[in-house]
Parts: sequence; structure tokens; C-alpha cells
Amino acid sequence: MALKYAFYTGCSAKGVAPELYDSTKLVAEKLGMELIELEAATCCGAGAVQEKDEFLSLTINARNLALAEELGLDMLTICNTCTLMLREAKFKLDNDPELKAAVNEVLKEAGLEYKGTIEVTHFLWEVIDAVGLDKIKSMVVRPLREFNIAPFYGCHIIRPPYLTGYEDPDNPSSIERLIEAIGGNPVDHDARLACCGFHSFWSAEDKVTLKLTAMDTQAAKKQQADFMVTPCPLCHTQLDAMQPEAEEKIGVNIGMPVLHLPQMIGLAIGLKPKELGLHKHVISTKAIIEKVA
Amino acid sequence: MEKFKLKVFRYDPTKDDKPYYQTYELPVEKGMTVLAALFKAKEEQDSSISFRYNCRAAICGSCAVRINGHATLACKVQVKHMLEKYNTDTLVIEPTGNIKPLKDLVYDMDWVIDKLKKIQPWFIPKEEPPADGKEYRQDPYDHHKIDFASDCILCNSCMSDCNALKANKDFLGPMVISKAYRFIADSRDGAKRERLETVLKDFNLEWCVRCMECTTRCPKEVQPYENIIRTRIIAAEEGFKSPGEIHAEIFEQDIYNRGLLNEMLLPMRQEGLLGAAKRAPFGIRMFFKGKVNIADFFGGHKVKRHDEVKKIMDKAKEVKKNIKIKLISDVHTPYEDKRKSKQGG
Repeated sequence: MALKYAFYTGCSAKGVAPELYDSTKLVAEKLGMELIELEAATCCGAGAVQEKDEFLSLTINARNLALAEELGLDMLTICNTCTLMLREAKFKLDNDPELKAAVNEVLKEAGLEYKGTIEVTHFLWEVIDAVGLDKIKSMVVRPLREFNIAPFYGCHIIRPPYLTGYEDPDNPSSIERLIEAIGGNPVDHDARLACCGFHSFWSAEDKVTLKLTAMDTQAAKKQQADFMVTPCPLCHTQLDAMQPEAEEKIGVNIGMPVLHLPQMIGLAIGLKPKELGLHKHVISTKAIIEKVA
Repeated sequence: MEKFKLKVFRYDPTKDDKPYYQTYELPVEKGMTVLAALFKAKEEQDSSISFRYNCRAAICGSCAVRINGHATLACKVQVKHMLEKYNTDTLVIEPTGNIKPLKDLVYDMDWVIDKLKKIQPWFIPKEEPPADGKEYRQDPYDHHKIDFASDCILCNSCMSDCNALKANKDFLGPMVISKAYRFIADSRDGAKRERLETVLKDFNLEWCVRCMECTTRCPKEVQPYENIIRTRIIAAEEGFKSPGEIHAEIFEQDIYNRGLLNEMLLPMRQEGLLGAAKRAPFGIRMFFKGKVNIADFFGGHKVKRHDEVKKIMDKAKEVKKNIKIKLISDVHTPYEDKRKSKQGG
């Protein structure tokens, strides 16, 4: 069966993480996933709109979901927070007929309707369940054998369970299984299920965010990881692009590279570091590029 | 009978230089809770283990511990289920995190009590009681808003696993803010603004990193995270200005004006010109790494069919006034992807 999805990019992949957008498209094509980009979709609110005006955020995301319903396709996301916000909207609308009716009254202004007929899913989950680890294994041309890889799940793909539900938030294994499938060594570390701090950046950059960023990257380093891998561009921005600030904060050089999930898969199935955008990282990925060459 | 290992955190500051772990081998008895296992180890193998407990029925909140790294009530979970959950033969029992251990699994509660005192966790009536001698009455929806928050048993599970607290012990924490919300959102309470000022001091309310640990941990489905967000919504409605409120405003404007967030102009709008200047090294770094889309500095492009978005957002503000959004009642049952049930599991 052909794998076809309504592709919700989110803001980051179209903004500060262009390498995520590019690597997702390349890897998806190789894995036989057809992505129809939702070019009319808006930002999911990222939790920010949600904490000011819940109803407004629900209508915005009801429209986003309705765009995928127009195509009759499940929505594929590449950001943990987008996944959670869209699923939250879907969950609330599907479980409250009055709320759904009110939201549809709003959507009618633009000739749209939210029905609740599609699911919101994440690239990580589809790679494992729909493409399948056996197929991935069969496509590996450059097993990442010599790499110790530290998974960083990111909060919004595992918690809270009533909105995520893909695996046990206390003991997930999807990223480890994927790392094993491409021949790498998953590294257990203290921050695997921790938070990167991204969402309190503007309110508590020094008090909370950068401390967490430093703890997370140091935890991976302590276990001798060659790089961290995350399915979330917000975690990536925090752990990679903000790592110099975190280093400055604690006065310690960390230098832990962080890869996006599709970049890691891409390297193993024979895509070039350059096409996967490994040169667009703030923390140098040179050692990784040299090793895979 | 099948056996398992109970690996217990041990620490007696009067004798030990540092904490250590002691392992007890026990049978996996049918229906045995983790608290029952601690009792069995204490009664049969080592009477010196210290832990708090009282009701043994997930009501009193005394027995919160960390089991294999995650906080919960020892009396609420069964040994067999925990062994299956972590696919292991060993349960590691530690005191709740973020808090100073006093002895073994017993932690220092004063730290939490001091935080709670700040938010005055008691009812401060808005007006005199009804003249007819009856109790203060409340609209059912007003009650619904504080219903779940009222269920908190102060067990500390959420404080234990809070990521913001892990980084900074001055954060009030999910339990405390959730308790504050219970009064802030109470239609009968008269100290709403005062309470909001307390939780917004140094923007403490916004140190929350939205990691969702608290709601995931809470054994009583109090939804501390959701209560933090509800507090932020009330603060915005009450006109409090904060970095979080400005941030939300920027997101709302960008969705209204172009659809996607303009990340390039965000720092300047968030923190003004001075703030943007502080971010210059970051911006330059991002530019040289090819992460910056120059067009975004001039507003960038709009998403397709953007006219729909404006219509919807304008209408939503109008319809919103008549909507009473119900709170989610079950936050523990995992989300079920309908495609899976269609395939029969």
C-alpha cells in the first residue's frame, strides 16, 4: 500500500531549521512515503496561543486539521509540539460535541468544516509502524556501527499519555529501536526523557532554560555519545543552536552535535551529509561527516 | 514463586557520608503493591528502612517515591505491573526528586510547605456569607473549573519530576501553582489579583517548561500542567503583562497576518531593540549556518488561502464569549490511534 500523508511542516522547518525540512523530504521519498505539503496550514500556536486564548487556538488547529481532511489523508508532523497541539485540538473536539459545533460555526465563515476523520501522526511513528524497521534495515548501505547515539525524545512526543499514547512515556523505546535498525549503538543517558527548556526561553532563559540545555547535552557527553538525535526541531534549536549560550552559562565546553531524526536515517541509507544539511548545524558535525565518508 | 529485587535508596546523614543502595530479594506476590513490598523488606529483612506512609489507598499522599526514575504513590502501583512496565527484575526505589532526603525515602517537607504558604492555600471570601445562613454557592461550571484542581493530595509526585524545578529550586512548582489556581479560579474567592501577583513575581509562573511531567505523574489526575496554563489564561484576561503574554501575542499576530511564525523578527518584537542587540551573536551565527531566510526580515511570505485564517480568527473572538469549554476528565488513558483499532490492534 502506498504511504501518503498530508504533510504539516510547522514553522521551525520553514524557519530556523531548513535542514529538517530538506532531510525529511529526501528521506521520506527514499522510504516510499509520499508527502503532500499543506501549504495553506498555519502555525499550531505552539502552546503560546493556547495559554492566552484556548478557543482561538482550537479553531486555528481545527482549520489545519480540516485541510488534511480535504485531502482525505492522515496528517504527518515533524515537530513534537505541533504533534501535541494538533492532537490536543483533535482530542478536545472529538470528545466534546458542543465545542465541535461551536468551532464549526467559526470554520463555516471560511467554508470549512472539521469532521474528525483523520489522525495526526509523527514522522518517527510512521517510519517505525508504516515503513517498518525491517524495510529500513534492508535499505541501510552505511550502517552507523561506530557511532554511540544518544536519543533525546523531547517531551511532547511522549507526554501526556492521553494525547500521545504511542508508547509508555516512562519507558519508550522507539528511537532506540530505530538506532539499532540502522546499525548504531543507542546510548542510555540521564536526559533521554528530559526537557530541553525551549518553552520557557523568553521568561526564564538564565533561570531555567539554559541550565536544562547544559544538563541534557552534558548527560549525553558523559556517556560518550558521538551525537544526540531528536525528533523535534524545537529541541534541536535549543540543544544545538543554543548550546554555545548554555556553555557560556556554565563555563564548560560541551560541543555535543545534535542530529534531526531524518538526518540520522539519511546517513545510514546512503544520502550525503551535505544534502541532509549537516553543515547547517551550530555545533560542528565535522567529526560525523568525516567518519561516514 | 517468581522473585524480584527491591533496590532501595539508603541514606542516614547522621552516619553516612553519601547515599548508597541496598537490594532485597522478595517474592512477586499476587496483588502486592510497592508499598507492601517495602513493608515486607522492613518486617522480614531490615527493620532500619525508613519510608512515609499512612492510608495505603492513594488518598493521603504520604508514600510518594520514585520507582525506576519516575514518581508515583508506592501504594497505588503493583510490583508485577511495574516489573512488566520496565521489563526488568529490579525495582529501584528512591525518594522523590528535587527535594532534600532526610533519611532513606523520607524527604524534607518544609521546603514544599514554605512554597505553599506563599500562595495562601486557603479560601479568602469575596463577600459576606449569604444572609439566609446557607453556604457560599457557585454556578456548576464555575465549580467544574476547580473540580480537578481541588483533588490534590499534596503528594509531591509532580514536584519530584518537574524539569523547571530540576533547573531552579526557586520555581514555585506545579503542585503549588496548581493549588494557587484552585483559588484564583474560584468564583467565590476574593484574593484573585493578589494571588496572581504572587505567582507572577519574577514571572515565576512562566518558568514552567511545559514538559508535561506533572500531569503525567499526578496520581489523582489533578492536571497541574493544565492548571498552570489556565492560570496564565486568567492572568492574560486580567491584563497582566509578562514575557509569556507578549510571546502569545506575537504568535497570534503572525498567524493573523501571515500564517506561520516569523522567527527572524521574533527577538526584536519580544524584547525590543536592546533585546535584539543582545541576540546579535546568535543571529549572526544562524545567518552563517544558512539557517536564516532573508525574506523573513521583510515580513516573509503568507501561507496559501490566508484570507480564510483572518475570517476564522475574527469570528472565533466573537463566538468565544458564549463558549464554556469543558475540562478533560481523563488524562491517564493513553490516546488511541483509530487506524490501529481499525487494523485490529
